[in-house]
Order: sequence, then structure tokens, then C-alpha cells
Amino acid sequence: MTKIQTDEAALAALMRAAQGGDAVAYARFLKMLAPVVRRNVRSLRRFLSSDDVEDIVQDVLISVHTVRSTYDPGRPLIPWVLAIMRNRIVDAARRYVRRSAHEIQVDELPVTFADEDANIETDVYGDPEALKQAIRELPAGQREALEMLKLRQLSLKEAAAASGTSVGALKVSVHRAISALRKSLTKE
Amino acid sequence: METDRVIDQLVGAASPVRPLRTPLARTLIWLLIVAPFVAMIVLVMSPRADLIEKMADPKFVIELLAALVTGVAAAVAAFATTIPGRDRRIALLPLLPLGVWLGSLGYGCLQTWVQYGAGGLRLQPDWVCFPAIALAGAGPAIAMAVMLRRGAPLAPRLSTLLGGLAAAGLGSFGLRLFHVQDASLMVLVWQVGSVFALAALAGFAGRRLLQWRRPFAHA
Repeated sequence: MTKIQTDEAALAALMRAAQGGDAVAYARFLKMLAPVVRRNVRSLRRFLSSDDVEDIVQDVLISVHTVRSTYDPGRPLIPWVLAIMRNRIVDAARRYVRRSAHEIQVDELPVTFADEDANIETDVYGDPEALKQAIRELPAGQREALEMLKLRQLSLKEAAAASGTSVGALKVSVHRAISALRKSLTKE
Repeated sequence: METDRVIDQLVGAASPVRPLRTPLARTLIWLLIVAPFVAMIVLVMSPRADLIEKMADPKFVIELLAALVTGVAAAVAAFATTIPGRDRRIALLPLLPLGVWLGSLGYGCLQTWVQYGAGGLRLQPDWVCFPAIALAGAGPAIAMAVMLRRGAPLAPRLSTLLGGLAAAGLGSFGLRLFHVQDASLMVLVWQVGSVFALAALAGFAGRRLLQWRRPFAHA
């Protein structure tokens, strides 16, 4: 709080000019005020992340702006700013508590890969009937390869032995089957 | 949104502002605005026939003035609570005239009891008080709400509670001029009770009435 007190005279002079409509003085006032507020918020709420601190700093600046007519030029400015700052910190704490009441804290997020796309929670092919229909419409060779490898989960060797085709041909059939399914399902 | 961008937007949105007057000066302005309203209500409801006579009764005058001063002190306190950095203890200011008001009514009850015994302290329903005070206090309440919204909503419930007390105090002052009801216990329960109830209602509405404004959409 000692630093903030040394800024009193300068800040008060700028605020008086700002109330009179001096935009340059107002910009200087806010730019001078922001680090002072940031420092105070940090020292009062050490556990906050820098994003949360910045949110409060912005809140304080906006609040100072909206009630700037309540500053009486004949009175000290710092107690005026501190009262607004404390009020906004309490409001932010209230918001924080409200928000965390609706959040569930988890230690590990159910994420399999770092890539966002690999963690799509919703099923893109939402309609199982459409999938069944699309599988029925595949050429016989592709359908058999898909059923053995993807539905019954046989190994390539087992599937090749069961169907009497080569491993390479099975791979190609499955690849084509999946491409065909993707095309027919996304088309719909 | 970056803080520097917020500052740029605030500077862009800044227009010259006239500093608010002191709470006392704002109270005088409020009184000037609302006095004609209360006077009009008293005239419409027609002043009590014995008003001139009652003005010579010190007990009546003390009660009347105590209600008025309670309202005025509550208004000063209400305006002061919307100024950042003001001592919050100013909220206790109306307690003094309120104490005089309650004290004089309590003394009246005591006098009746000494004179007529417990039978003199009969409490009958008087359903006029609440709506009449609400009616006479409506204008002061609206003006108070508009004026309080120009301040900072630092303690919204306290500010509107005091604002409600100010408006209801003035309403009660008006009521005494047209409603013939002088039994201390009746005044204490129905009139002062209505004033408290209205102030409490105003207090409950505080967070809705007084909120921090947003000069622009804030991400």
C-alpha cells in the first residue's frame, strides 16, 4: 500500500483532468492505475492465476470508469480507488465460489491423445441403423473383410485363412470398405 | 480481452462528467424534488381537520419532526454509502432521530398505561397505514432510486435499505398530516412498523436495483 500512497497526487490530478474530459490525462490515469491495482490484487489474492488477476484488474478499471463521477476532487483519490477495488475483489470471489459450485474437479481428464480431434466425445456416426444399412450395401468382399477384421476382430492371418484371400487383399478391402462407409454416412 | 485494449475502449468511451454533489447537497435536491409530491398527496387525501390544533401539541410535533429527520438522515446516509471511500459508519446516522421517534412513541405508550392502565393500550387493526405510507413514499422512493443509481453500488442492500427508510420516513411524515391516528401504540405498530417493512423491502431489492454498469460488452 505504500507505493499506492505515493501515487496519490499524480493520480488525483489526472482524474480531475479526466473528469473534465481530457482523454490524454484519462489514458495516463488508467495506465498508471492498472499496475497499481494489479499489484494490490496479487498481494491480496495470492492464489489467483494471472488470468483471474487480469480479469479483476479490468473489472476494477471498468468500475472506476463507470462511477468516475462519484470521485469528489476535494477528497483523496486513493481511498476512493481502494474502496472500488476491494468491492470488485469481493464480487470476483463471490463469482468464483458460484462458478466452482457448478464445476466438478477431476484429477485426470478422460483424454486419450493430446490432439483435440482425437478426443471428440460425440459419435460422428450417430445413427446405428444407417451404419448397418451402409454395411449391407457394401460389395460382398468388402463386407466380409470388414466383418471379420473390425466386427469379429480376427487377426489378418486368421481372416486370410478363413476367407482364402491374401493379407494384402484383405487390407485393401477393409480400407475401401471404411472409405465407402465414411462417404455414404457423411453424405447423409 | 487485454487490459490495454480495455483501457483504450474506456478512454474512447469517456465523456466529461460532473462530479456528484456531496450527500448532504444531494439530499437537499431530493427533498426539493419530492416535497411537492408529498404535499400533493396530503392535499388530495385532505389534511386532518385538527392539524392547526395538533401543531401546538409538542408530542405531535416531536413525532412529526422525528419522522422527517429520520427520513432526511437516512437519505444522507444512503447517498454517502454510494460514494467509494466514505466511512460506512455513516449508515448509523438515522439511528439518532429514529431513537427519538421510537422514544417519544414509547413514552406516549407509557403515559397511556399510567393514565388508563393496560386497557388503554388497545391495538386495533389499521390497514390504512401501510398503503398510505407506500403511496406518499412512492415519489420519494422513485427519486431516491434514480439518484442512488448514479452512485457506486458498493453495498446495494444497505443503500436501498437506507433509501427505503428515507422514502418511508417522508411518507410517514405525510401520513401524520392527513391520517387521524394519535394513539402512541397504534402509531408505533402500524406507522413505524410500515416504515420498517417498506425499508426492508427496499433492502431486499438492493441487488436488483443497484448493479455495476457495463460501458461496453466485456469478454
